[in-house]
Amino acid sequence: MIEFHLDGRSGVAPYLQLIHQVRQALRLGLLSEGDQLPKVKDVAAGLAINPNTVLKAYRELEYEGLAAARPGVGTFVTGTLAGASLAAHGPLRHDLQRWLAKARRAGLDDESIEALFVSTFRAAGEADIA
Amino acid sequence: MTAVIASEGLGKRYRRLWALAECTLSIPAGRVVGLVGPNGAGKTTLLSLATGMLAPTTGTIEVLGGRPGAGPGQLARVGYLAQNAPVYAELSVSDHLKLGARLNPGWDAALAADRIKRLDLDPGRKAGTLSGGQRAQLALTLAVAKRPELLLLDEPVASLDPLARREFLQDLMEAVAEQQVSVVLSSHLISDLERVCDYLIVLVGSRVRVAGPVEELLASHHLLSGPRRDPATLPAGQQVISASHTDVQTTLLVRTSGPVLDPAWTVSGVTMEDLVLAYMSQAGLGRSRRHLEVQQ
Amino acid sequence: MTWLAWRQFRMQTVVAAAALAAFAIAFAATGPHLASLYAASGLSGCHGGRCQHLANNFLGQLGGTYGVLWTLAVAIILLAPAVIGLFWGAPLIARERETGTAALAWNQSITRTRWLAVKLTVGGLGAMALTEALSVMQAWWAAPIGRALGYGGGAAGILSQGRFSALVFASHGITPLGYAAFAFTLGVTAGALIRRTLPAMAVTLAIFAALQIVVPLWGRPHFFPARQAVVSVASLQEISLTQGGLDGSSFTLHAMNIPGQPADWLLSSGSVNAAGELVSTTPAACTAPSTEDGPNFLPCLASHGIRETITYQPASRFWAFQWTETAIYLALALALAGSCFRQVSRRRS
Repeated sequence: MIEFHLDGRSGVAPYLQLIHQVRQALRLGLLSEGDQLPKVKDVAAGLAINPNTVLKAYRELEYEGLAAARPGVGTFVTGTLAGASLAAHGPLRHDLQRWLAKARRAGLDDESIEALFVSTFRAAGEADIA
Repeated sequence: MTAVIASEGLGKRYRRLWALAECTLSIPAGRVVGLVGPNGAGKTTLLSLATGMLAPTTGTIEVLGGRPGAGPGQLARVGYLAQNAPVYAELSVSDHLKLGARLNPGWDAALAADRIKRLDLDPGRKAGTLSGGQRAQLALTLAVAKRPELLLLDEPVASLDPLARREFLQDLMEAVAEQQVSVVLSSHLISDLERVCDYLIVLVGSRVRVAGPVEELLASHHLLSGPRRDPATLPAGQQVISASHTDVQTTLLVRTSGPVLDPAWTVSGVTMEDLVLAYMSQAGLGRSRRHLEVQQ
Repeated sequence: MTWLAWRQFRMQTVVAAAALAAFAIAFAATGPHLASLYAASGLSGCHGGRCQHLANNFLGQLGGTYGVLWTLAVAIILLAPAVIGLFWGAPLIARERETGTAALAWNQSITRTRWLAVKLTVGGLGAMALTEALSVMQAWWAAPIGRALGYGGGAAGILSQGRFSALVFASHGITPLGYAAFAFTLGVTAGALIRRTLPAMAVTLAIFAALQIVVPLWGRPHFFPARQAVVSVASLQEISLTQGGLDGSSFTLHAMNIPGQPADWLLSSGSVNAAGELVSTTPAACTAPSTEDGPNFLPCLASHGIRETITYQPASRFWAFQWTETAIYLALALALAGSCFRQVSRRRS
């Protein structure tokens, strides 16, 4: 079962953070179809947040078709985001690790690597739209 | 849906001082309500009126559709945690549970015992020897185990250390999730309430300044910053809550239902803390701070 | 709620029960000996003039221990209501207000009226029972002494106090009940009004003490119309005589008991002449030094028609007085209890 955490300073509403974390977990294969999401009571108690916030996040996930509530039992994952691409994760991760090693050997520090990646990522995204 | 607390023009006066005035509220059920305001603003007075510990000077108040404190039935539906979590120092923890069982027909003994066990409280220990956080937990157990429909908590975490504070709120949220109980908790620190409240009441200078669901309030309040300008020139739909000026710049916190279209403004969202501080300054507090800002 | 009331009174009850037990032991240890002394004195079923002599013999036999125990018990009985008022009554509401536990108690599922009713009942009944128990124990133990006094015995120091004396009247019969109930409710009321324990204790003590002085002095003697008797000066046994003026020309004579009526409550006495007017001038014939300073002074006064008029309450009214005083204190207690309920229900602050 996944565990949630909240970043109080991110400015992002808590329920959105929860949704984001579920989606992230689905993409990374940490959650798959049929898995149970943590109980509302446990999330509320663990994070000291309003249960309604958790309910709202779960309802939103239901609306997106990613989860479904079974009354009296809990909320379960019904959809998936990873899809076939999960299989490609392995080789892609391996490629990334090699690229990172090359970047370090070239003398880039963490901030430069991150800046390089983000700018390339964004440029590629805009090129896709265009 | 009936309101858990409905008041109309509620006021309470002690000799010549109005501790609370013109308080009109309609708090919906199923919420965790944060009652925020500086010390002496009237939070304890409002909660005492809701429990029936005080009788109003003017106006009316109805709690769960009934008169506060009127008879055992009404008392059983409302749980109360007074400031500083008073407990009987000479009675042990299990004595307190016995107290709850004897004095409340709706007492859930299993729930109480389970909570005490989870909290690691020694049942034989005298309540006077407990730490502040443990006392608050014991008092919360007493309030929760009688299975009320409404919980009223007066500054429950004010005198607790950060860890005890977090644990108390975790515990409270668990109780809310399990029992579907409505909660009103007061504090003079907004940081205590930000994560747990979905309804906010700001009480400053004995008056309610703003009340509503947190989501709605955050969506309808905006921070506007732009070139120096007189707040009176704003369109009618935009209500200025607080304003601060330098010689070239103006920053306003406004309440509006529609979008802010004027391109001269940079519009950003507000946090609960910004909102509460703005209403406090509107009420005339923090005047010196504003004065300093103008002189920059 | 009854459980909570008992639980909160636990410490006070334990202390009181311990004191009661201590006295019970002391009485049990010395009581039988006292009873056997009385049986040996021949006073049971005594008739006639020699009874007083036997009574004096019996009382003279009692050593210092009995006097000490008697005094101690009476003192505790007299103090008990005050202690109850201070330590049971005053903190009842005041302490809960001070510590904030009132907010805890009054937000459970019972009304304040019920809360107060149970606490007042448990505390009040407990107070009355404990005080009265001590009084009854002491009365049982001291019964032989009382009977000896009834036969006219005296001169035994503190043990000679009659039933109507201030100490004995307040510690015997049913008056301790009334005092306990009153002091308790006085304490609770003071605590309800003042809301702080120590000031409430002080006020309770002050008012209770004041009443315990005022009522015996100016109230009790007037519960029923007093009777008057005129007796021969020569028949007086215990007197207080002062002679003064130039050549002993004036005198003041007070009787300390009524001849032949030892158990009656003597209120006041004065000397009157044959016409019934108060006199304080010594007749000329009685001013001679040999007469004035000797045993013939009283017969001399008598021969001049001077008699002693005594205002008193008959012994037979003892229980009427007891009931009246107890009723007064119980009525006060009920009135105070009523005002407590009003105070507690009033939700001003």
